[in-house]
Amino acid sequence: MDIPLEKHKGKIRTVELRKESPSGLAIGGQDCLALHLFEGSYPNKPVIAWEITDTDPSKWLGDVRKPYKDVLGDPVGWAKMVREEHGAKIICLNLIGTDPNKDDKSPEEAASLLKNILSAIDIPVIVKGPGPGEKQNDVLAACAEAASGQSCLFAAAVEEQYKTLVASCMAYGHALVAETPIDVNLCKQLNILISDMNLSLDRVVIDPLTGGLGYGLEYTYSVMERIRLQALGGDEMMQNPFICFIGDEVWKVKEVKADDPAWGDREKRAILWEIATATSLLYSGADILVMRHPEAIKAVNEAIDDLMKG
Amino acid sequence: MSKIIATAAIRGAHKLAQRAEDELNSAIAEHSESAAVSLPGTAYYLPIIYSMLGLAVQSLGDMKKVLARARSLLPEVPSENLWLPYLGDALDAGMAALFAEEIIETLKYLTGPPPAEGIWLGATSDATLRNQGIKLVDGRMPGFAACVGALPSVEDAVKLARDLQERNILVFMAGSTNGTSMADQLAEAGIEMNWDTFLVPYGKDITAAVYAAGFAARAAMTFGGIHPAGMEEARRILLYNKERVNAFVLALGEVDDEKYATAAGVLNFGFPIIADTDIPQILPSGICTYEHVVSRTPLESIAQKAIEVRGLKIKIEKIPVPVRVGPAFEGERVRRNQVALEFGGKYTHAFEYLRSKELDEVEDGKIEVVGPEIDDVEEGSALPLAILVEVAGREMQKDFESILERHIHSFLSEAMGIMHVGQRQIIWIRISKDAAKAGFKIRDFAVILRSKMINDFPSIVDKVQVTLYTDEEKVEALHPEARAAYDKRDQRMGEMTDESVDTFYSCTLCQSFAPSHVCIITPERLGLCGAYNWLDGKAAYRINPTGPNQPVKKGECLDTVKGKWKNVDDFVYENSNKTIKSFSAYSVMDDPMTSCGCFECIVAILPDTNGVMVVGREYGGMTPSGMTFAHLAEAVGGGQQTPGFIGIGILYITSKKFISADGGIKRIVWMDKELMERVKERFIQRCSEIGEEDLIEKIADETVTTDMAELVEHLQKVDHTALKMEPLF
Repeated sequence: MDIPLEKHKGKIRTVELRKESPSGLAIGGQDCLALHLFEGSYPNKPVIAWEITDTDPSKWLGDVRKPYKDVLGDPVGWAKMVREEHGAKIICLNLIGTDPNKDDKSPEEAASLLKNILSAIDIPVIVKGPGPGEKQNDVLAACAEAASGQSCLFAAAVEEQYKTLVASCMAYGHALVAETPIDVNLCKQLNILISDMNLSLDRVVIDPLTGGLGYGLEYTYSVMERIRLQALGGDEMMQNPFICFIGDEVWKVKEVKADDPAWGDREKRAILWEIATATSLLYSGADILVMRHPEAIKAVNEAIDDLMKG
Repeated sequence: MSKIIATAAIRGAHKLAQRAEDELNSAIAEHSESAAVSLPGTAYYLPIIYSMLGLAVQSLGDMKKVLARARSLLPEVPSENLWLPYLGDALDAGMAALFAEEIIETLKYLTGPPPAEGIWLGATSDATLRNQGIKLVDGRMPGFAACVGALPSVEDAVKLARDLQERNILVFMAGSTNGTSMADQLAEAGIEMNWDTFLVPYGKDITAAVYAAGFAARAAMTFGGIHPAGMEEARRILLYNKERVNAFVLALGEVDDEKYATAAGVLNFGFPIIADTDIPQILPSGICTYEHVVSRTPLESIAQKAIEVRGLKIKIEKIPVPVRVGPAFEGERVRRNQVALEFGGKYTHAFEYLRSKELDEVEDGKIEVVGPEIDDVEEGSALPLAILVEVAGREMQKDFESILERHIHSFLSEAMGIMHVGQRQIIWIRISKDAAKAGFKIRDFAVILRSKMINDFPSIVDKVQVTLYTDEEKVEALHPEARAAYDKRDQRMGEMTDESVDTFYSCTLCQSFAPSHVCIITPERLGLCGAYNWLDGKAAYRINPTGPNQPVKKGECLDTVKGKWKNVDDFVYENSNKTIKSFSAYSVMDDPMTSCGCFECIVAILPDTNGVMVVGREYGGMTPSGMTFAHLAEAVGGGQQTPGFIGIGILYITSKKFISADGGIKRIVWMDKELMERVKERFIQRCSEIGEEDLIEKIADETVTTDMAELVEHLQKVDHTALKMEPLF
């Protein structure tokens, strides 16, 4: 029996990260729905980015601090560890220390850290700012300059504040994450605004905003489906790969933090929570999953390998 | 184009080309044709030449080739009796002049004197360009001013520099007048000049002005991602500058041939020239967005004039009033015992009125309070008030007046400690004691209104002046004009028909939850949520061209009765994720418009009656169809096309186009009481228009019945027209 196949006229753009390095990565490029290998071509596997932070992440739960206990507060060492010991293909440097309400580290400090990390490891780096505001603009602009020509991925441009980051990425040859709050229209509008500034959409990755399992996962799931269907249907303003920031959403929820013995072993439960959230979003089309716990990452990586066998 | 300008520019370009050639020849004699030349710190070679010709100049020999190209661009100086050299020739000559100037400046790096010496900075590195360019691209710097020449006095120079700095405009300085340059004058006043202070002295020679043009050309290559090669790329680089690099030239003092030539060169980039002297003007738009050359501009207003001519938008970072302003304070009430001063309500006569004027009739930022201020009256008293807001803008239209005026409410409410209720002539405003204690004055209303109008509507508002009348007599004197304007606006909206316009507006605001729903807003059928009429759609598109309200050209009419147009169908199909193939504006039966879920009322057919019922959102009871509003909403919402059911805005009920394809208002057999109360006045008027004065009496509501059989009985008893009309299906 012939299986009826869906042929799409649109195709997701390929975003190249750290293309100058032999360990550079290409993201996206498929012309079918998530993991529908039978329907089209899927040139690039979804990847998991290991999240590391610029200062000791004191708010992280003990369970997810433990695997990194020797490198917390030493971001360069941390980056090397995930690269060398765990075979990370990409990392996400979360600049929590630059938050004006936390350590308020200077843009120059962040920029020099990024430089050090880029010389310590040869894989692509996602640079995540402290969140919208004056400070994020300054931090990401300084980092973009410091990493000139290394095609990093900067997070994130939002509707209220995208121009400085777009300009920085144009000037120094980087890609950026366009973040909108679980909304198809806003997602499209932000992409239009970004491309109106002349940044090529080959350098844009969509963050649809992640809700963790039990905390809006289904909203993220369905908005990703909607965006993808529209993209594959031919809407050029939506044809971009997805990034989902899993770790941050998962490791703060009650079910992961609670020590209730009736709910079973906490560490195991937390890891499963991260796995469940990540795999669900893998099915809705995530191309980059930003995650924390080594065991969760290992399990999801195995799932990706398995699914990509076809 | 002015012959005087064209002739002078061509003459100047010849002089500059000659000078470049002489200097190049002596450089070649001293060094050799293969001697390397470059500008420091750039990968864009000689940026103007590279961007326009795609030629990478690296040696003196390369310069020779460029000069030959410049010569070929140079037209003859027009003779006395030739009357048409004009624009094209002058622009070519200007471009040739820029090539020559770039060569002259670059040669200075080889043969001296070095361009960067003393106060002068010379060429800009790519690193600085990126750093500063980001601010230009993201809008923190609205643009740059290339100041050529000098001002009459040091004080004038300082004032101009401050005027530009205050607006975050980057200032480039080059050239001189009678041996003095603006930068010399600023240096004399002890003003610090560098990239950090936004004051950049390039060089005293007029040729140094080419660095400003080079900055612009490199911005297009860096931020526009355009790689130079030939004419097409050159054109794109120039257009990028016209559209995105908001630069202008201030020609200060006497303008000689070389300055004219340089000016003609930058006109190619779409940068207009504003002069303080009496040179000929070039006013029509073409190469520039608006005027090309504006002269005799008084020094005290030259910065403001330049902003207007280039169309710069300056954002007001913090509204300068003594209380906080933000949406968080919008719903705030000020209670009786908290009142410092109040206006309107039942106490005094107050109204607000916004009108548009010509650009030269409005002085931006002008604020006047005519009558007593808050300090002149006792705490707790009430004053009359007329708020007169006058706006001007290149893209402003009369139709936008009412939309801007409606925003006075939210703008004033957003101030902490200020209560604003109502609109037009039914306003009521209170200033709280806390706000008064913080120093809030009546004039601060004007400060808030101007700042918000400029910030929130940059695409239509360029200038705002506000007058606040608190003098009883003045308030009364202005009132008739305001009242006449309100009436005229209402009348205009009332008179507009779908046939009188060629464009409708879409609304896809709700696609986040109703992915296949598209609203088509026409003059006679407003958005189903009731919040957007046709004018709102038009204005919203102007204000936010990438937003959810897009213009839809009607195109060929496929069915005048049902209201189907080819382009509208195509638009709806494309934007409904290819689910809705066709759409009727005036029918509930045939391809009716879909609904998101925000409709104010639902129209549903009642087959047994050969008519329809209209149910309002507020009505919680049962209807003759056997379904409540909530049940009906399920059948109507979510972007489905369900013949027999539509969601509508209340005002559509009394529109001439209300389901006109199906017989119109005469089909209504049942409407809930509360809804009928709301539309009654217009409904009666509409009934008399169609000669069915008694229709309103025949329409049943829940007090008559919610049972279908009883309804049919009632309709027969009152002899409702619907029973005798053509069958609905």
